[in-house]
Amino acid sequence: MYRRLLININQVRNRFIHTHNTRLTLPSTKCKERESFAPVTSSTSLSEDKGKTPEENEVNAEVNTDGQRNTEMNEGTDISNATLTSQLETEPEVKPEDSKQLEKTKSGKESLLELLGAMKVEVTTVRKIRPSKTPRTSERPDQEPMESTHSMFQRAAAEGSQQHGTLSSALVAAVSAAASTLPNRHQAESELLKQLRKHEAIPDTQRRADLGHIIANMKVGKRPNGRSNVRPTSQIRFDDDGKGYTQDRGITSELDGVRRRKSPFTSKRLNLFAAGAEQDTLSDLGPTLWDIDLANQIVQATNQMPRNGFEEMIQWTKEDKLWQYPINNEAGLEEEASVPFHEHVFLEKHLDESFPQQGPVRHFMELVITGLAKNHHLMVQQKKEHIDWFRDYFRQKEDVLKEAEA
Amino acid sequence: MASSCSQALKQHVCKSSTILRVHLQKSWPKRSFVLNSAADQQPAVSSPEEIVIPKKKTWSKEAVLQALASTVSRDPTASDYRLQDDPYLTPKTSSEFKLFSLSQESGKNAAKYFINTYPKYFQKDYAQPHIPCLMPETLEAQIEEVSEAALIERIHMRKVKAAVDLYDQLQQAGTPVSLDVTNQLLDLICFYGDSDPAQENVPEQRNEETEDVQDEPQTKKGRASKASDQLKAAWKENNNAERIFALLSEPNTHSYSALIRGMVKYGAYSKAFSTYTDLLNNRLKADVNTFNALITAAPEVKEKYNEKWELIVDLLKELAEQKIKPNLLTLNGVLKALRRCGTLGKSQAFPVLSEMKALSIDPSLASYNHLLGIFYKPGAPFLGQTDILQEVMNEVSGKSFTPQDPDDAQFFITAVRICLDTKDIEQAYSVHELLGVGENWRLLGNDLQQNIYYARFFSLLCMMENIDVMLKWYRDLVPSVYYPSSNIMRDLLQALDTDNRLDLIPQIWKDIKQLGHANRQKLVEDLLTLMAREKQDQEVQESFAECALDIKKMYDTGDRGKVIMSWTATSLSDVISVLLAAQRRQDAWEILKLFKTHNRVPSEELLNKFLTCVTESGEVNHAVELVQISAGFCLPETPKLIQRVQQEFQLSEQQKNILSDLEIQTFNSD
Repeated sequence: MYRRLLININQVRNRFIHTHNTRLTLPSTKCKERESFAPVTSSTSLSEDKGKTPEENEVNAEVNTDGQRNTEMNEGTDISNATLTSQLETEPEVKPEDSKQLEKTKSGKESLLELLGAMKVEVTTVRKIRPSKTPRTSERPDQEPMESTHSMFQRAAAEGSQQHGTLSSALVAAVSAAASTLPNRHQAESELLKQLRKHEAIPDTQRRADLGHIIANMKVGKRPNGRSNVRPTSQIRFDDDGKGYTQDRGITSELDGVRRRKSPFTSKRLNLFAAGAEQDTLSDLGPTLWDIDLANQIVQATNQMPRNGFEEMIQWTKEDKLWQYPINNEAGLEEEASVPFHEHVFLEKHLDESFPQQGPVRHFMELVITGLAKNHHLMVQQKKEHIDWFRDYFRQKEDVLKEAEA
Repeated sequence: MASSCSQALKQHVCKSSTILRVHLQKSWPKRSFVLNSAADQQPAVSSPEEIVIPKKKTWSKEAVLQALASTVSRDPTASDYRLQDDPYLTPKTSSEFKLFSLSQESGKNAAKYFINTYPKYFQKDYAQPHIPCLMPETLEAQIEEVSEAALIERIHMRKVKAAVDLYDQLQQAGTPVSLDVTNQLLDLICFYGDSDPAQENVPEQRNEETEDVQDEPQTKKGRASKASDQLKAAWKENNNAERIFALLSEPNTHSYSALIRGMVKYGAYSKAFSTYTDLLNNRLKADVNTFNALITAAPEVKEKYNEKWELIVDLLKELAEQKIKPNLLTLNGVLKALRRCGTLGKSQAFPVLSEMKALSIDPSLASYNHLLGIFYKPGAPFLGQTDILQEVMNEVSGKSFTPQDPDDAQFFITAVRICLDTKDIEQAYSVHELLGVGENWRLLGNDLQQNIYYARFFSLLCMMENIDVMLKWYRDLVPSVYYPSSNIMRDLLQALDTDNRLDLIPQIWKDIKQLGHANRQKLVEDLLTLMAREKQDQEVQESFAECALDIKKMYDTGDRGKVIMSWTATSLSDVISVLLAAQRRQDAWEILKLFKTHNRVPSEELLNKFLTCVTESGEVNHAVELVQISAGFCLPETPKLIQRVQQEFQLSEQQKNILSDLEIQTFNSD
């Protein structure tokens, strides 16, 4: 059926890709390889060192049929490991995170890497895997361990106080050469030099201890499904949206990178409107019937059913059926919020001259306002009304009170 | 039913007003507290942006709940949340589901109806603070005198006729009505096409509007709800809207806009364009809504593809000339119109999109849906267009969309349809992945659309995926979100067949029974054929036999109002061969008798098989009886059977006699 057919297509396609790759990419890889591969060994191989062995095994398994390549591959990794350790010892001023920029200063390393790069070019099927792995280690879920190493490096850098050591002139020249390749030349140069000086200042032993500490603390992040057949084309996807695509893409995705460049979404526009023509289209009358209808249509077209209890509560909150979070005792008492507390508590000012200054009525009223002051159910207005009622009452009974000599 | 519909509509108003607010505030930076945003936030070590730490963070009222809700993920073993009230009532089939959700909805509507009809019984306000939406709505106008305030009240209550009457009275009394209020009135009249919205407590009003309907042949492909609105009302010549509009001394943009939109909504397209010309002649500017309406009307007034497109371009040019910023609905309107411009659409769709991007309008899912609609016509062959879906998926993947256009909900269905047509399972996975991002699940639309989506996705899975992966999806989706139809179940059986996992059939049969498809003859027959086709190992065969007997029960008990299935010869012989393979001669024997009762004729092959089985057990009586049955059907195979029985069994005298009698009979009949 279709599935069978697809499998066939897949096989044919794979074969095609292999040949395609060797044919097309060979001329360009040499220089690319140096750039993309060099940072790999120096910056992330720290973390890869530990994680390498299983991955290597996978890789080896993949090229099992081809014994020669297999050995080459091993050699390659061995050499890179060796280089790395030797660099760490002999040239400790190189911090791995900076080596991207400083790479050009290390001629010996460069040549080694070149060698490696050249080797890799021969091993086409295997090589594909390596460069694709690097962005993954730095971008994909392994973010955490990488981050921690970064911060540790920074801490290490900070420890090395502000002593300004002197740098060898050759190094300075190399830095400026490196900086000239960058767009912001002067800034880059000064930054590079500053960074170099920092490391110069850190005593050798301390740094080594730091590094040991770092390496010991390092967690090697590994993708849960260590699939090794991620193709360089899918790597473009990783770069673009940072999303993982765990599945094997169909044949269409093979040509992704090629097509992406001429994506129809970036095609020419109609050129009817001036881009900057901003105009306030919001009417001042608020939503019209049409707007409400549009919103209604959208609501009806979409699924507004809650999926769990919390979403139902959100819905109720929006309909104002539910007490709102964060919980506020004074919800719904908005007009009371502007009334200060003393209006509630100190009610003596309402016992003005209309009440007698002393005697049983005054005494009674004082009790009333004490009670009112403690009553939290009434609003200030209601309290005033309460007092007013008594005022009226006593006014009506004035003659009775007079008679009683109160 | 229409009355309850309108009721539901009203219910949505408060919901939709929140959406509206979202719309208006969309340009604001996202402030709401969302839990997963924490995961997205990269430690911004390298970014040069300054991080401003706010002194105080005000949470929106839903923030806590949103955070909590984001911790709950879907449980594939549980049914949908709204169905969880009562485990006894939890629907197991799609029809039960329909019944459940409809009755839930109508229960709400009935309650609402009673509250609104008898407001005096529902005046007690327990809630503190007060909850307005639980109180009865005032449906009767409160202001009796003839004044502008009364008119405004009637407009707010959407009483079209009453508002028009009041306006006339005000005119006769010589009281001037302000332009704003008149415009609102025009909005109201145009929106409802000069007839009252159907309301539940005035049912007799529905009968009045059938007279004098100006018929304009239209192709209505809109949604059912919209169609029911339009069914009874087309734009009438000189209706109240036009009359009131004519009375205006100085109509402004808003008045024209209302009129044009009403005309477009009720199908008077050419009239809308002539009104627009009026507007231009009066040296007024149109607003963006007017243009949106005109763009949707454009394909209706022109015949040829290029004329349609030219008209749209002209409209857009005028939009630019009047310095009006188009919005998303303009974009979607243009794309939708392009769907009806044939091949022109394919060349112009992407420039339109780029244009909108240049104006910093982000396309919504509806835009992509129209795009897919332009490039993939249903039924047309797909020639090298697979990549358009690919491009679209590249654009949208990983993004969370908010509903902005009623057509947004069509995207997923269209996308998965294309995947199904092009048999592209990878793309279908990425579509499904997109569905899981953020709030995108809301855009899958209502239950019907969900069903369509999952049916398409599922049949694609059945077709393309290996059985283990497919069953994983099956367990995940069925029946918690999707009730497969019997056709999908047949696809599933086919997939089982292709991957040689027939041992799962008894399990699937249980599901079929639960999903209420056990009375679908075609499905059941397929199932039986699959079970009978090959001999399985002992254990599987045993479970098959159980399953077959279970199926037999379905045939027997089909008389409770359900569609009764009738035995066919093949289904009977399939059951028998399954039972025989499981060494259940007694059961098989009983089924064999059913041939007679249902007037079906067994095949010779089956009888031979049966005889072989009887031979193994050495039951002479059965063998003879079998021959008798065969003779009863006058099968040409009978002499051979007799011969076999005579050779393979040790027969008693009486049996020998019976056989020789039969032999003579068949010989004679030949």
